[in-house]
Amino acid sequence: MRFNSKKLFLNFSSRESLKFKVIKNVRDQISLILLLVMIIAGSQFSDVFLSSKNLLNIVWAVSVLGIVALGQCVLIIACRFDMSVAYSIGLCGVVMVVIQNIGMPWVASVLVGVFVGLLVGTLNGLICVGTNANPFLVTLGTGTLIYATSLTITRSKTVYTPFDAFTDIGRGKLFGVVHYSVLIFIFLAIMLELMLRYSKFGRSLFVIGLNEKVGKLSGFSVNKIVLGAFLICGFMVSIASFIVTSRNGSTVANVGLGMEFESIIAVVLGGTSLFGGSGGALRTVVGVLVLGVLNNLLILMNVQTEVQQIIKGAIFLLIVWLDISLRSK
Amino acid sequence: MIVINNFFGVILKKTSVFLFIFTIFFFSIVLGSSFFNQLTLTNISRQISIDAPIAIGQAIVLISGGIDISVGAVMAMSAAIVIGTQSLGTVASIFLALLFGVLVGCINGVLVTKGRIVPFIATLGTMSAVRGLVLVYTDQKAIMGTIPGFEFLGGGSVGFIPTPFIFAFLILVIFHNVLTKMRIGRNFFAVGGDLDNAFLAGIPIFRSRFIPYVISSSLASVSGILLASRLNSANPQIGIDTALASITAAIIGGASLLGGRGSVFGAFLGVATLGTLSTGMNLLGITTYFQIGIKSLVFICVVVIDAILVRRAISSVKDSG
Repeated sequence: MRFNSKKLFLNFSSRESLKFKVIKNVRDQISLILLLVMIIAGSQFSDVFLSSKNLLNIVWAVSVLGIVALGQCVLIIACRFDMSVAYSIGLCGVVMVVIQNIGMPWVASVLVGVFVGLLVGTLNGLICVGTNANPFLVTLGTGTLIYATSLTITRSKTVYTPFDAFTDIGRGKLFGVVHYSVLIFIFLAIMLELMLRYSKFGRSLFVIGLNEKVGKLSGFSVNKIVLGAFLICGFMVSIASFIVTSRNGSTVANVGLGMEFESIIAVVLGGTSLFGGSGGALRTVVGVLVLGVLNNLLILMNVQTEVQQIIKGAIFLLIVWLDISLRSK
Repeated sequence: MIVINNFFGVILKKTSVFLFIFTIFFFSIVLGSSFFNQLTLTNISRQISIDAPIAIGQAIVLISGGIDISVGAVMAMSAAIVIGTQSLGTVASIFLALLFGVLVGCINGVLVTKGRIVPFIATLGTMSAVRGLVLVYTDQKAIMGTIPGFEFLGGGSVGFIPTPFIFAFLILVIFHNVLTKMRIGRNFFAVGGDLDNAFLAGIPIFRSRFIPYVISSSLASVSGILLASRLNSANPQIGIDTALASITAAIIGGASLLGGRGSVFGAFLGVATLGTLSTGMNLLGITTYFQIGIKSLVFICVVVIDAILVRRAISSVKDSG
């Protein structure tokens, strides 16, 4: 009798764990499955979709968003958000171009732009860490403040760069095949993935995201780590700003409009939980690619841009809902 | 519910009154008679009355422990609907706009309560979708009203009182009574203060968390209708900064992001403060960019002060036991 019940229990538990394993695998790889399904669907819909030129274009088009999403991903792992990314992209680019026009060499201007990005990250981080305020609302506020700043600098006009060499980075291709911006994106993603997996700082981000109290009790200096996450996000934003500015050869204050939203969508699509404590840089790359392929398909199918926004909002809610309902199982 | 019983708590409870009187004093001293005349005051009260319903709705959502980011988009879409469907008649177009508000409110409510999505993420999603809908519906252009009498709702006045002020006052009185006198209103405070305890006390938590979103979205569409009527047109740019402004107003009025605290009367005074501030800045000749900057600074300050007070309150609860 005892033996039987034990056997039953074993059977029961193994069946449970199998079900759990399936759910876990589907949950973990849902973005990859989605990407494959969309690529297969795309190849059926249109015959130009699978051409290497189109595929490279997709990656090129999402590389800026991708770099922003990498920064956002670090914050979301630590259970924080940055809603100001859309406007910091504008500010970094505006500062770069304006000081180029004053007469600074473009390399120095890029460094100043990166400095501005880090400054914004520090500002956001210090406010959130110092007061324990909700990062979502704080960065919503600083985002508007940053927008007002760059509007004041540019007087809401487009500013143009005087250097041709500056635009080469954003438009040029390595050996005439792959865009530099794509290479920068992939490089940053790999570096970030290595950092998240193997460095002490990267691991502690996950602990804080899972349970901040436990992190604090096990001796992590939570404030420093959160500040570091905001700094990384600021750095990524400034690099993205550099690429988008050099690609356009000009910039406006609202160049990144909607990017705060799209970067969060991309991160969540990649399978990073909104509740923090899980995720990774390469997952985010997959999420960004899903978004890129979706965009590309919608354009190939001649869907209006406005309708695309509705579809993205709906997909966002669907993914968040799936994330929550699968995680609670 | 966390009770704040210290000096800052008292100030917080009366912040809206203090700030409102301070702003009025400040501008009437700096600007003198160019601020303190009937025309300016009527204009301010008209602007306030159009923004007030949204802030009242936001305060109710904050009290129940949520947040509604989608109000600006709902306002824009309601304005677009009420102008766009005028061929069906004024009453039908207003009805359709309100229906849209209720619908979005239901979606928000279901996502938050049944879908268990964090409120700001859920409403961010609906905001994006509704913004897209606005762009599709208006085709990214401003649309003009055709019925001449429609302007009366937002632009007319009865005697020297602007018509929208009457609507805002009615809404204020109704929801003040709902929150202080009616059971469902008290339940909003209960679920916002402590969800688990509210559940254990037998309070219907689904209803008490769902209804605030419906109220907030419907009030957002009331604001949209009033604004559309005042401008006699609608454009897709309406309500871009409304979410920020309404949250600022509600928090100035004593609501907290933690939930369980706040009042619609405070939110109304918060809106009045912000409205006076922006009119005063206009009269001082401050550029729009600076105004956006100053408003976002106010927002950041309000959020930060709220966070500090909440932390204080939590630590005082811990100390006492």
